[in-house]
Amino acid sequence: MNAPVDWTTIILAVAGLTAVTVLSRASFLLLPPSVELPSSVERALRYAPACALAAIVAPNILVENGRLDIAIDNYEMWAVIAGTAVFLRWRNMLTMMTVGVAVFTALRLMG
Amino acid sequence: MSTPFVGHHGAVHDAGEVTEPRPGRPIGNLLPPIARSGWDAGMRDMMPLAIPIAIWGLVTGVAMVNTGIGVWAALLITATVFAGAAQLATVPLIVAGTPLVIVWVTAALVNLRFVIFSAASRRTFIALPLRQRLVASYLNGDIGFALFTQRYGTAEQRGTPEQYGYFFATATVNWASWQISSVAGILLGGLAPTEWGLDIAASLAIIAVLVPMAARAPAITGVVVAAAVSVATNRWPMRSGLVVAVLAGVVVAISAEHLAARRTT
Repeated sequence: MNAPVDWTTIILAVAGLTAVTVLSRASFLLLPPSVELPSSVERALRYAPACALAAIVAPNILVENGRLDIAIDNYEMWAVIAGTAVFLRWRNMLTMMTVGVAVFTALRLMG
Repeated sequence: MSTPFVGHHGAVHDAGEVTEPRPGRPIGNLLPPIARSGWDAGMRDMMPLAIPIAIWGLVTGVAMVNTGIGVWAALLITATVFAGAAQLATVPLIVAGTPLVIVWVTAALVNLRFVIFSAASRRTFIALPLRQRLVASYLNGDIGFALFTQRYGTAEQRGTPEQYGYFFATATVNWASWQISSVAGILLGGLAPTEWGLDIAASLAIIAVLVPMAARAPAITGVVVAAAVSVATNRWPMRSGLVVAVLAGVVVAISAEHLAARRTT
């Protein structure tokens, strides 16, 4: 499916990602006590993670070969819609996964 | 033998009683003094959550290896990065050959919630030596933070051994449950054929994290805008549209919040 990624890239990527984890979690424990988080900034920070996740996930589902694909044969889209509906209703991740993968498989076998 | 721990009641704040180290702890001076009462309470509160954490770890493991990054790379990422949402968001980018700067910025954006956690946890950990602060921060994930805030959010005094005990008990359960299940997921995911469609597990897992974050109207608006802008800018070089999409989402969410506030007042 994908060309294997070389180890230099992986190790550099992982080192950076680990640093990001440590720095984001430690951030205010490394700053002097006089630095406070303004409430306007805190509000922006509160929205950013959800927006980032949405920005990641939407093209995964809705873009095929660089183009918007909301056609009826986009099985992945229907599977994700079904899984999301299940999660919104029951808040159970395992049920969501089962339904999502089941819908995908059913559509693939029928289509 | 005198107990090295603080009792369940009373002398919790008597620091003199708890600085006597328990044998084998703190490990190599990486942990602050820990009181047994807090540790036990943390274990009691966190144990029921070990199963949901394990499911999430399992799914993340399966999803990571299904991107095609390879079992060894996925194991390395799990062992070091220790941030599920950021892992799910960035592993497909790494596989697609996205410039590392975009990969890191994306992880930082997903991790911005931890900056808020660290600001809120400051009073609890700020008095500790740097090394102990870094260890505690690294382990300060979503669920442990939520439990800690629930229990000690209104506490007058912060940074007591009782609180450290509670924190490290939840962190230990979280870490162990997450790591064991992630490794299992990576090994299992490596066995499953790709046509099973397990790669949609990654999208579903991200949505499972996203949904509780987008509970109110401004956040939902921001999420929809970020998703739309991200799709529209998908062909921009080096996935630079990702960052633009997040900024657009945040700006719209804050504007929506202002609008809603003005309407109600």
